[in-house]
Amino acid sequence: MRTIKLIFALMYTFIASGLTAQSDDFRRAAPAPGPPPEIRFGEYEEFTLDNGLKVVVVENHKLPRLAFNLLVDVPPIREGAFAGAAGMAGDMLGRGTKNRSKAEIDAAVDFIGATLSTDAEGVSGACLSKHKDKLLEVMADVALNPAFPEEEFEKLKKQRLSQLSYQKDNPNIISGNLAQMLRFGEHPYGEVPTEQSIEEVTVGRCKAYYENYFLPNASYLAIIGDITPPEAREVAEKYFGQWKKGTLAEESFERPDPPSEPAVAFVDKPGAVQSVIDITYPVDLRPGTEDVIVGSVLNTLLGSGGLNSRLNLNIREDKGYSYGVQSRLSYDEYVGYFSAGGSVRNEVTDSAIVEFLYEMNRLREELVPEKELQGIKNYITGSFAILMERPETVARLALNTARYRLPKDYYANYLKNVNAVTPQRLQEAARKYLLPGQAYIVVVGNKAEVADKLGRFAGDGAVRFFSPSGKPVAGVEEPLPEGLTAMDVVENYLAAIGGREKLEAVQDVSLTMNATIQGMPMQVTLLRKVPGKMNLKVEMNGMTVSETRFDGERGWASAMGQAQKLEGEEAESLKGQALIFPELEYHKKGYELTLDGIEPLEGGRAYRILAAGPGGVQSTSYFDVQTGLKVKTVSTQDAGQGPVEVSSEFSEYSEVEGIRFPHKVVASGMTPFPLAMAVDSVKVNSGLADELFNVEE
Amino acid sequence: MNRFLMLSLMACLALASAYAQGTEIDFEKYALDNGLKVILHQDTSTPIVSIAVMYHVGSKNEDPARTGFAHFFEHLLFEGSENIGRGEFSRYVQDAGGRLNAYTSSDNTCYYETLPSNQLELGLWLESERMLHAKVDQKGIETQREVVKEEMRARYDNRPYGSFRKEIARRLYRKYPYSWTPIGSMDHLNAAAEEDYVNFYRQFYVPNNAVLVIAGDFEPKLAKEWVSKYFKDIPKREGPIYRPEVQEPPLGGPVRDTIFDEIQLPGVFMAFRTPAIGEKDFYAVKMLAKVLSEGESSRLKKSLVDEQQLAVQTNNDVEEREGPSLALAFAIGNAGVEPHVLEKAMNAEVEKVQQEGITEEEFRKLQNQVESQFVNQNTTIAGIADNLATYEVLYGDANLINEELSHYLAVTREDIQNAAKKYFVEDNSVVLYYLPKPNQP
Repeated sequence: MRTIKLIFALMYTFIASGLTAQSDDFRRAAPAPGPPPEIRFGEYEEFTLDNGLKVVVVENHKLPRLAFNLLVDVPPIREGAFAGAAGMAGDMLGRGTKNRSKAEIDAAVDFIGATLSTDAEGVSGACLSKHKDKLLEVMADVALNPAFPEEEFEKLKKQRLSQLSYQKDNPNIISGNLAQMLRFGEHPYGEVPTEQSIEEVTVGRCKAYYENYFLPNASYLAIIGDITPPEAREVAEKYFGQWKKGTLAEESFERPDPPSEPAVAFVDKPGAVQSVIDITYPVDLRPGTEDVIVGSVLNTLLGSGGLNSRLNLNIREDKGYSYGVQSRLSYDEYVGYFSAGGSVRNEVTDSAIVEFLYEMNRLREELVPEKELQGIKNYITGSFAILMERPETVARLALNTARYRLPKDYYANYLKNVNAVTPQRLQEAARKYLLPGQAYIVVVGNKAEVADKLGRFAGDGAVRFFSPSGKPVAGVEEPLPEGLTAMDVVENYLAAIGGREKLEAVQDVSLTMNATIQGMPMQVTLLRKVPGKMNLKVEMNGMTVSETRFDGERGWASAMGQAQKLEGEEAESLKGQALIFPELEYHKKGYELTLDGIEPLEGGRAYRILAAGPGGVQSTSYFDVQTGLKVKTVSTQDAGQGPVEVSSEFSEYSEVEGIRFPHKVVASGMTPFPLAMAVDSVKVNSGLADELFNVEE
Repeated sequence: MNRFLMLSLMACLALASAYAQGTEIDFEKYALDNGLKVILHQDTSTPIVSIAVMYHVGSKNEDPARTGFAHFFEHLLFEGSENIGRGEFSRYVQDAGGRLNAYTSSDNTCYYETLPSNQLELGLWLESERMLHAKVDQKGIETQREVVKEEMRARYDNRPYGSFRKEIARRLYRKYPYSWTPIGSMDHLNAAAEEDYVNFYRQFYVPNNAVLVIAGDFEPKLAKEWVSKYFKDIPKREGPIYRPEVQEPPLGGPVRDTIFDEIQLPGVFMAFRTPAIGEKDFYAVKMLAKVLSEGESSRLKKSLVDEQQLAVQTNNDVEEREGPSLALAFAIGNAGVEPHVLEKAMNAEVEKVQQEGITEEEFRKLQNQVESQFVNQNTTIAGIADNLATYEVLYGDANLINEELSHYLAVTREDIQNAAKKYFVEDNSVVLYYLPKPNQP
């Protein structure tokens, strides 16, 4: 049967080819290439000014344009509680100099149709060549004479905070930040700015950063485009010759190691339809080493070679799991890293991870076929040629040569060295740099649909959970001390704030707090009185925005002039909130307490207690293991639009009438942004009148 | 023609050629008998060559019950051909040391590759295979359907504010087939049969609906021989090629709506209908958009982001289209800023232009910006190939790559003010508020 089919098929082919034009034969196979062109590394000139500034000039007159890149080679620095200060300092450069305001800088740059940008590692600009002096004047002013105006700094801080909350929803940014924190650990590269750290940054810190690191003897200036080297030397001298040299302080930091076994880190993004996967770890891969070139071939083959990388061929083209995946093997003087990932739909998250790890392992275990390797070498060669089209690339590589003290002919010989890589050498590199057994597997996605399938990838079988800002949440928990009960933790807390006796003597407490919302001051007054009465008033601009009352049984709320009675669950939840020290009741009948675990929280560890009240109202409270103080409560509330998780964080405890009260409360969940409230006053037993809690019929 | 008008136009042209000095892109244009237009631009400074094949088909040519087809084809046509195995298309390019990609808009679909100069023939073979007999089969359709679904999730569903183009489009256009975006509908793609795909391919992927551009380091005589060898026998389409000829009535009043999304900061997205490519005021509207948001000193950025600190970011851009175009302005509010406050601040800047026009200084800035942008759009040969193709297909004149600047420089301050009065008005707008999801009633 098979033979007959084959004969028919052959006959059909003959007939078909007889019918179509015979000249179509040339279509059957790819045409042969012509002789390969010579790909030359672009030429550049280099010189050093008296102040130590190294200048690289790439001359190219194809278009009447010029670019100037000033690169300040800043070593890794620890920012700690001020993470983000360097970035803000970089941004501040363009926001006012000793000669120009921000508006003047912007106007001058825009007027000539130029671009100018500043960051922590320098300043760059581009313009048509006829405007070069106008641009350089502003650029040098920005780089050499920044004024760090206080008013601009406040604006910048506000913008940074907004950007951070803007980014909070972006799963790629969440994933990138967590990957960075995990793989670099304690190394400065692992520092990620947070809202708190940005708040801590001062103008002084920014100035100090600039003064310590913006030094000509640690900097490089690339001048690229429509200019001759003598002209370039002239403008470099003219605009950057006066820059004063200085001494660069460099600290050294311990290099982070990859984890000893794979670890799975998960960030919940409720409602997400895709998971962002990142498989990552640090590597020791330094510029100028032979491994950089082998590593580049390896990584191109694995995941950076466009649609035809092994990862894309498998995960995108064969399985259709993703729109595109990629990998990166990054070299660095201090710590490099590997990262592979992409976005995949929820239901194939675990299958996709299997394929990532499979492709990494395959390169470790099997020699790459010569033909495939040759294709990759061709791809790198061609890409190099395409990159050479841009004088910017030539400048960048020239800067690398100077900055990393590479041999002068490093890039001239680059392609020769790429073409010398053998399958054996590639496998050696794969075993050294592809570490599926020592990776952090970071996944940002829909916990309910995805997380429980991922434990199998971790060495210890556990998925570690993180908050979107990278803080561990209810992860692999440390064991509870033997014999400790929930009630012990509660009693411990009551003792820490003043002791049962004192607390039970409290008849009423008045709290006033202030916060800022939309730049407007807001005042919150919270009155509570035994047995379980409450009045909560929010005021803005002297006007009452809302008021909530609870007389011990019935609830009532008014907001913007509209009042309503609160009944059922809402009233039940108020009952708990109306207690001055709810923990005093916990030993009574009807309460059910569970000591659920120990959890790392900001600034320490806390016992987690689940409490269910008599009405079935549930809440979770956190008590600091060290101090015994209550640091957080979380409950689910219905604000009329479905359940919302509401949390309050307590800090800055200080004593009033012998009882310790928190003086800072951060409430999250009720507003789109966490609301930080500072307690202005606490009054104990001031004799609050019952009328204050009356519920109107 | 009025003499003064003619004189001032000539002055503008002279000015433009003075501006554009040294940036002239020389090219040669011809057509094959089957209608394929060919454009060659030689530049031997780097040993690479770029090929762009632009098909005059975009989402506006789709059946309203089969939206997403044009973009889907952009994916499908990498699957192979009668002579190219499945998945080998990009393998050929990559192994030759090249790069390739494609994009789809409402009006066009473009495929392009950049290769070492000795591989031009390979690129032409590949593109001719794509045009002559691409593989349009069930296996390819199914795989790419999954990939496109992932693209949709990654770029639209899983991205904050990611739905704004779609939401704007369906409100800004009632009749014209710009009322959906190129990504289209997954349901339509699921519902389509293999036959629908084959028919779409036969209608639009034909030489008389395409432009082939070769730019870079090649020998013109040889290049022409190869173009002829690979493309001349591809049959042209004899029947009609569908082009929508729908008149979109004026919007006739503001359209407002609120979208709830997984976001933290409120956003205001505002769109206005603007003239099509080739219509009067087209360039004036483009200049107007720059007045509002090109550079830090532009009106919206300076006012909303810097001075009033209402917005994290703001932008304004004009989408250039063959049919009724649109200008899109948006602002993402700073923490706690209400959307109506943002909207008011955006409108205030537009009103200032309507009432007072722009200053002479601002006008000169605009002209400098336009000139700079004009020079910068031709920095790579891949960019030049794409620009030549776009100018030819959408604007009907490849030489705009050298002359478009004069159209910008012919715009006066009054034209810009008038454009603001005529197009950036409430009755011609769609305004969407993007709000964080939990606030949904």
